[in-house]
Amino acid sequence: MKVKKTFHSLTGKFILSIGALMIVGSAVFWYFLIYYEERGFIRNAEKYGYSFADVIRKSIRYGMLTFQPHLVQQTVEAIGSAEDVMRVRVFDCNSRVAYSSKKDEKGIVLDTAKSFCMDQYPKHTEIREALSYSDKKDRNGFKVLNMLTPIYNEPACYTSSCHVHRRGDSILGVIESDISLSVMDKTTKEHKIAMILFVFGFIIAISVVLCKILWNTVSVPISILTKGMAEIAAGNLNYTVKIDTKDEIGELAKSFNAMTVDLSKAKEKIIEWASTLEKKVNEKTEEIREAQAQLVHSEKLASLGRMAAGVAHEINSPLTGIVTFAHLLQKKFDAGTQEREDIDVIIDQANRCSNIIKGLLEFARASTADKTAVNINDILNSSLNIVRNKADFFNVKIVTNYEEQLYCVKADTSQLQQVFLNMIVNAGDAMDGKGTITVSTKNITENGGDFIEIEFRDTGSGITDKNLVKIFEPFFTTKPVGKGTGLGLAVSYGIIQEHGGNIFVKTKLGKGTSFFIKLPANKEVL
Amino acid sequence: MSKGNILVIDDEDIIRISCKRALMPEGFEVKTAQNGIEGLKMIGEEKFDVVLTDLKMPEIDGIEVLRLIKQRWAEIVVIIIIGYQTVDNAVKAIKLGAYDYIEKPFTPEGIVSVVCRALEDRKK
Ligand SMILES: Nc1ncnc2c1ncn2[C@@H]1O[C@H](COP(=O)(O)OP(=O)(O)OP(=O)(O)O)[C@@H](O)[C@H]1O
Ligand SMILES: [Mg+2]
Repeated sequence: MKVKKTFHSLTGKFILSIGALMIVGSAVFWYFLIYYEERGFIRNAEKYGYSFADVIRKSIRYGMLTFQPHLVQQTVEAIGSAEDVMRVRVFDCNSRVAYSSKKDEKGIVLDTAKSFCMDQYPKHTEIREALSYSDKKDRNGFKVLNMLTPIYNEPACYTSSCHVHRRGDSILGVIESDISLSVMDKTTKEHKIAMILFVFGFIIAISVVLCKILWNTVSVPISILTKGMAEIAAGNLNYTVKIDTKDEIGELAKSFNAMTVDLSKAKEKIIEWASTLEKKVNEKTEEIREAQAQLVHSEKLASLGRMAAGVAHEINSPLTGIVTFAHLLQKKFDAGTQEREDIDVIIDQANRCSNIIKGLLEFARASTADKTAVNINDILNSSLNIVRNKADFFNVKIVTNYEEQLYCVKADTSQLQQVFLNMIVNAGDAMDGKGTITVSTKNITENGGDFIEIEFRDTGSGITDKNLVKIFEPFFTTKPVGKGTGLGLAVSYGIIQEHGGNIFVKTKLGKGTSFFIKLPANKEVL
Repeated sequence: MSKGNILVIDDEDIIRISCKRALMPEGFEVKTAQNGIEGLKMIGEEKFDVVLTDLKMPEIDGIEVLRLIKQRWAEIVVIIIIGYQTVDNAVKAIKLGAYDYIEKPFTPEGIVSVVCRALEDRKK
């Protein structure tokens, strides 16, 4: 498995192909080298063979010319005894062995020289020498060079005193010599072995070096990159690959790292977007919910107002009757009588009804505001002056904290006074006549609009969460019957809305309450 | 001799009776009409010093009655009775020549004092 993997790996493929190329290349190289070397050797051997034949011819020449067969035989034997000379034969023209380095061969007729001697044509003079390799090998298995060298007729021969040869003969005999090529063969074989060893050594060395280089420059970085890819794929975007070579792989690693950085940045951004999106959606949902609640609230108040107006209208006439007739009756009884007292109760209660109706009508009636530019500080002061002399406020400390340069507001003075009075009276009630009321004003600029904000802060009881959602509803009151109608805040709310403003509350049970009134203003100061 | 002849125009019984009972003991002659048409007819037949008229009535409303009276009998003092109507209507009525307005629910003293004031002013 591992081996298979190695072969499939880039390095494996490289090494296999380079190795194969080297083997083929060096085999071809090696073949041609050996081939040419062998050719060279053979050429040398041939040259050597020719001169050897010449030597034989010249050495036996004297013996021949003087017709001393004994001398010729001796010479042939002497030459034949030399190292590497396996045999020397001299044939006469009848293919008979005239002389031989091996004495016992003398007189034997062999076909060897026939081609020279039998077909004697004058043109055969062209044939000077013949060389051939015999298939035979010497006893050590080396190649043997077999040479047949003709002995040509020359004037000295046919003019010599022995008269053995006639003038017309062109070839007188043939010298055959066998020379062992053991040296050449041995050298060639050694060269072959050396060459093979060298080639294999070379291939192995080159492969190892290539292997090492490929391993270091390709395989290792690629496996590092692969690991990096896997890490990234698994979501680990902080992973960086550590390759700082100056080559293409180094470049690749650099851009890989840049890519992971980009990826992680992109991912962060996406996550951030997702979370802020969620936050934004939540904010918007909250906003819409609040707006809707506000809408439902004002819608509720508006329909309550319409209903209140209707009820007031219906009740007004009967109430007029009650009041009128009670008064008429009242006059008929002297003060102090039981009847007079009873009628007084009727009148009182009818008056109460009348007040409730008035409050209701005020609540329903917000559109009749008579707006002029006013200084809110002045209206607050006149409202405070009204309550200051009331017995309920004897033990209440009233603190004012006005913005001197208060923006002016377009408003209906009497309506605002009604609102402020209700705020102050509510604060006094909440403190049970003891504590501090702080009235503050300030300028606000937000979203390009100018506003003023009025705060009525008391040190009273605070408002429970349960009540807080109801205080602006008409007739909601926690005060004893006869003291509060529960219309104060409902009317105030209507008036402030009509002025384009807003009322909101901050309260802490047992600590006190702040009512804030925000009204759109003009930057000029009155 | 009565202090003055007064006509009350209102579609509601209790208002007519209330006005009558509040004003008669004070020495006023009080007549009543159920609607504008009847009231105008009575004004044509008889001389009235003061007309008290409701604003919101079926058929002819108080504003129309006021306009017609002021057209033909400018010397008659007209006082408007308003219920839940906004001040706008009262302002409109006064612009059309009404002397004053009185808000329901009113007390006998309230209505008597308005009527007396109106008659005194008329004398001047
Ligand atoms: N400053 C305050 N501190 C504590 N509770 C308050 C304060 N202002 C208002 N409230 C609560 O809100 C309720 C409603 O107030 P609102 O002014 O509408 O009516 P009210 O004061 O009860 O009667 P009205 O004003 O008609 O005489 C009060 O009964 C009280 O419970
Ligand atoms: Mg109140």
